[in-house]
Amino acid sequence: MDRIKAVQIFIFVIAIMIVARLFYWQFIAKVQGNFESIISEDNLPAARGEIYDSQDFPLVTNQEAFLIYGKPHDLKQSPKDIAQKIAPYLISEKYATASAGLSEDEQKAKDAEIKTKEEELTNRLATKTLFWVQLSRKITKDAKEKIQAMNIAGLGFEADQKRFYPESSMAAQLLGFVGSDKFGVDTGYYGLEGYWDRRLRGKSGRLGQETDPFGFPILVGKYRPIEPQKGASLYLTLDRSIQFMVERSLKQAVEKYGARDGTVIVADPKTGGILSMATYPTYNPAVWQEFDEKFYKNPAVADTFEPGSIFKIVVMSTALDVSVVEPITRCDVCSGPRQIGGYEISTWNKKYYPNSTMTEIIQHSDNVGMTFVSEKLGIDKFYDYIKKFGFGQRTDIDLQEESTGYVREKKDWKVIDLATASFGQGIAVTPIQMVEAVLIIANKGKLLTLHLVDKIVDGQKEEKVKAQGERQVISPKTAAQMTEMMVNAVENGEARAFAPKGYRIAGKTGTAQIPVAGHYDPNKTIASFVGFAPADDPRFVMMVRFSEPSSSPFGSETAAPTFFGIAKELFNYYGIAPKR
Amino acid sequence: MLPVSDFKIKKKDNFNLIGKIKVKVLVIIGLLVSASFFAQLVFANNLATDGEKLAKIHEEIKKLEAENTTLKVEIAQESSLNTLSEKAQKLGFAKPSQVITP
Repeated sequence: MDRIKAVQIFIFVIAIMIVARLFYWQFIAKVQGNFESIISEDNLPAARGEIYDSQDFPLVTNQEAFLIYGKPHDLKQSPKDIAQKIAPYLISEKYATASAGLSEDEQKAKDAEIKTKEEELTNRLATKTLFWVQLSRKITKDAKEKIQAMNIAGLGFEADQKRFYPESSMAAQLLGFVGSDKFGVDTGYYGLEGYWDRRLRGKSGRLGQETDPFGFPILVGKYRPIEPQKGASLYLTLDRSIQFMVERSLKQAVEKYGARDGTVIVADPKTGGILSMATYPTYNPAVWQEFDEKFYKNPAVADTFEPGSIFKIVVMSTALDVSVVEPITRCDVCSGPRQIGGYEISTWNKKYYPNSTMTEIIQHSDNVGMTFVSEKLGIDKFYDYIKKFGFGQRTDIDLQEESTGYVREKKDWKVIDLATASFGQGIAVTPIQMVEAVLIIANKGKLLTLHLVDKIVDGQKEEKVKAQGERQVISPKTAAQMTEMMVNAVENGEARAFAPKGYRIAGKTGTAQIPVAGHYDPNKTIASFVGFAPADDPRFVMMVRFSEPSSSPFGSETAAPTFFGIAKELFNYYGIAPKR
Repeated sequence: MLPVSDFKIKKKDNFNLIGKIKVKVLVIIGLLVSASFFAQLVFANNLATDGEKLAKIHEEIKKLEAENTTLKVEIAQESSLNTLSEKAQKLGFAKPSQVITP
């Protein structure tokens, strides 16, 4: 064997060995043991999508927040000293106001909370069995900077985000809030945050890469990061100027009339978009933990109540649509109270109007007249139309906690149920269902699905939310006849003194007693007003509802003036001038 | 008929030619491997310093994003209706009592 051949064989063997070794490292060997310490696998949380109003102003956005942690073994000061220094910055945000602005009671409560926090922090920092302890989550940037300035060894921060509400508690019950699920992941609850949670939350990413001893990424190493994807942003039909004005009017009205609570819904009858949805009392979603759970649900979609007289417009529309009555049909049983199924049916004010026309029955909100109408209809038609109007089922508005209301099964209806339901007793509706029913009349008999989200923007993709379930419920002729009856009710009814002059407004008052343990409480009522304006070319549909107003139990003296007050501001806002 | 010795010589010549080609191929492969190895070294060296640059860029992006978030929040806060209505009230603005149409 000559020397060349020997060199050949040597080179060949070395090459094979190198290839084999490379193959081993590339495909067979797994990184184990100490190598793990140089692979950083950070979870990258995705930013949650924002929520904007119809003019692209953020109602909910994100702000920087931090998690503060302690390393008990690295502390240079005693846990108690550290706790005393940092506790004032880790208490509830509601005490963020300068001490001078707090009342004496609030100051006492703040001091007590600081004390409790100090004890809690001391205990945590003194836990020597742990290497790392979480002290607080989602603290503000301001609090973080103040703590950081103290240069306390053994404390550290991790960046995070939290929700910020530029308009503070505006539309709180509609927006919902963000809390944590059992794994500590941000999750939306109630309202839009709850309903659209999966779209808003985005997809968290992962940073898996090898790092050198200095912590810099090794680009030739294993490098497979997954970028987090920000959640989609919602663009609403809600107009914050209208919402602001409505909320202010509602708060004043609830206080003025001594009501337990109040709800106002304003919708666009041409699109079904909600322009405003206000409730009072409400809560602050930034510090939702501080409020009782009963405030979380949005009464505008979750509360059910007996509608009372505002339901008469649904019954009358039905009777007109199936042609059992005309606006000029006269009632031949309206001269006094009636006995039906062993019960006496009377009018709310004990006044009777013999031979009233259908228009006058609506104007006087005549219960006896409505029993005449329901008798003409019969149970089958009555029940079918209630369903067609959407009662007893969800409107499918994009809010989490919507309830269905209650309409008893058709087979369970008796003559007395037909009579009482004709003036809104014995069935339960939600405020949003009533708005939908009025919208049908305002929109020439056509039902549009009420909705809040107009479009969803996900990165570069823009998705228009399509209206669903559009259908004709009553004929345009019926809708026009009903509109005229409602205009007459405003102009000649109990609330005529409050109506703004020069505008044709279609509306109806309602006063429903609250059923308590099998009977109606005479002192507790739900006062309401529904309507739309301008009657000939409606720009808005509105409902105002108060629970248990104490200054007056009647809708005509509480809900109606509030409705007209808000309507006046809407006329100004839209630039609608009076015509007469 | 050719003598046996001539045949042997011819066979030896052929064998050398193949051997020479094989050596050339091996040399070329060796050179290619060396070049690739060298190129790998150069790229790896460059990328090693890029890791630090990348970390700095990531840091900068994070900082800018955080500043952006803070500024967005400040803008939203300053232009909120609560703030604006307070300012309007202080400046003596009044609500319009009549509808103004163009």
